[in-house]
Amino acid sequence: MAHLGDRLKPLRGWLVPLLLLGMWEYTSHRDALHAYAFAPLEQMVTALGELIGNGDLWANSVASLERTSIGLLLGVAAGIGVGVLMAFSRIALTLINPLYQSVRQLPLLALTPLVGMWMGNGEPSKVLIISLAAFYPMVLSTYEGLRHVDARYTEVARVFRLNRRQSFRQVQLPAALPSVVAGLQQAVSFAWIAAVGSELLFNVGPGLGNLMMIAENNARMDVIIVCTASVTALGFAMSYAASLIASRLQRWRH
Amino acid sequence: MNASTSSIARSSFAAGTPRRFSWARLRSPASLVSPLLLLAAWTAATRAHWFSDQVLVPPQAVVDAFREVWESGEFPADLKISLFRLLVGFSLGSVGGVALGVLLATSERARVYLGPTFNLIRQVPTLALTPLFILLFGIGETFKIVIILKSTIYPVAIATMEGVRTIPRQYLEVGRAYKLGAWARFHRIIFPSSVAPMLTGVRIALGRSWMVLVAVELLAADTGIGQLMAVGRQMLRLDIVMVGVITTGLIGFSFDRILVGIERALLPWKPR
Repeated sequence: MAHLGDRLKPLRGWLVPLLLLGMWEYTSHRDALHAYAFAPLEQMVTALGELIGNGDLWANSVASLERTSIGLLLGVAAGIGVGVLMAFSRIALTLINPLYQSVRQLPLLALTPLVGMWMGNGEPSKVLIISLAAFYPMVLSTYEGLRHVDARYTEVARVFRLNRRQSFRQVQLPAALPSVVAGLQQAVSFAWIAAVGSELLFNVGPGLGNLMMIAENNARMDVIIVCTASVTALGFAMSYAASLIASRLQRWRH
Repeated sequence: MNASTSSIARSSFAAGTPRRFSWARLRSPASLVSPLLLLAAWTAATRAHWFSDQVLVPPQAVVDAFREVWESGEFPADLKISLFRLLVGFSLGSVGGVALGVLLATSERARVYLGPTFNLIRQVPTLALTPLFILLFGIGETFKIVIILKSTIYPVAIATMEGVRTIPRQYLEVGRAYKLGAWARFHRIIFPSSVAPMLTGVRIALGRSWMVLVAVELLAADTGIGQLMAVGRQMLRLDIVMVGVITTGLIGFSFDRILVGIERALLPWKPR
């Protein structure tokens, strides 16, 4: 008997989720009123099949991922550029830092009505919000990485009489890499959340956030759950991919 | 401290990461140059009528709009309800987060039974839960408070867990030797020795919750500062939208400064 108990031990963590699912399922079958909000589990499985079958899940996921990638690309490039500028030029630092620090205080998604008035509800607005989400951490991590290079490394560069360009490429850049990579990982997860948030708020075009909002209007809890699960799974996959790239980059450094 | 802060910061979103370089540098008068230049460019652009009123309004118009919505009583009411929602959700979330964090860090049984559920829900972005919560709770106050609760409880619980885990074993052994009860152990030993990371978590949670609340009010609300902006946008009143954007920024910033003040008062030895 003890043997069986030992084998069941790793499953103890599943007890709470199973209980919750059981309660959900029980509630959904109580009456029509409850079935409205608590979609039965079997209906979610059907919805998943349906969304995969008609291509909705695929098309909207691809749209969200595409827009996140574009926003990430723009935000990361701009963030690294501004970070490098601030690290190497006192004038740039004095001019940009006050603006950067104050704009960063504005909650990102609170900007959506303003951005919407300027650029409409479509793609450019969403991409702008996503790239800002990636931009902020990149500026900070690039700047910090470049500013806090170990003094011994810069001394070595001086001993070898490297010129500015050489010392940047051979000493400062590799030394700043861990910080930049940490910023990149942050940027990836922020960008994904910003993508979903902006899709919920700018209700034009395809995307998982839009699919969710349509499902909410039609009171389709089953579709909403499938979407929430997909958003979570894709976000998890992206963070995981980012951490793989990060460890690959760190290894290359040594 | 450093390692734990960075791992919490990674999960934070749009919250000011506590860093040293930012504010010290802004005390010099030179840091006023670019904001003043921007203000001048803004004024010049509106004087020259380069943009339509739906794209850019003069700074004065924003000030006037602020006075207009303030005197009509609309803005104070919206502000009050938003802050009330934040306060309720945030207080519940902070208390819950500390409790959950201590529980998960100190009890093996809690980790075994609740850990997987905790980590699973942790992966779900709060904003992705909005449509689900709207269908479950409607668009009333419950929905907003629940969603702030979700966005607060995780950063606080994670920071607390890390803080409690790094408490030196001897401290806990002293508590055991003195046969302290659970509450005495918490407020004599666990809380004082992990309050620093807890506060970091609370700071991140507050910034994040404020953004989530404004977003949720933009999406579904009939009151609140987010709703004020949404209506301003529908009426093509850029001035009102800007009043909202600037106010949300100032409020988020003040909250953060207040927490930094608390941090300094409680932990005067902490490096900054």
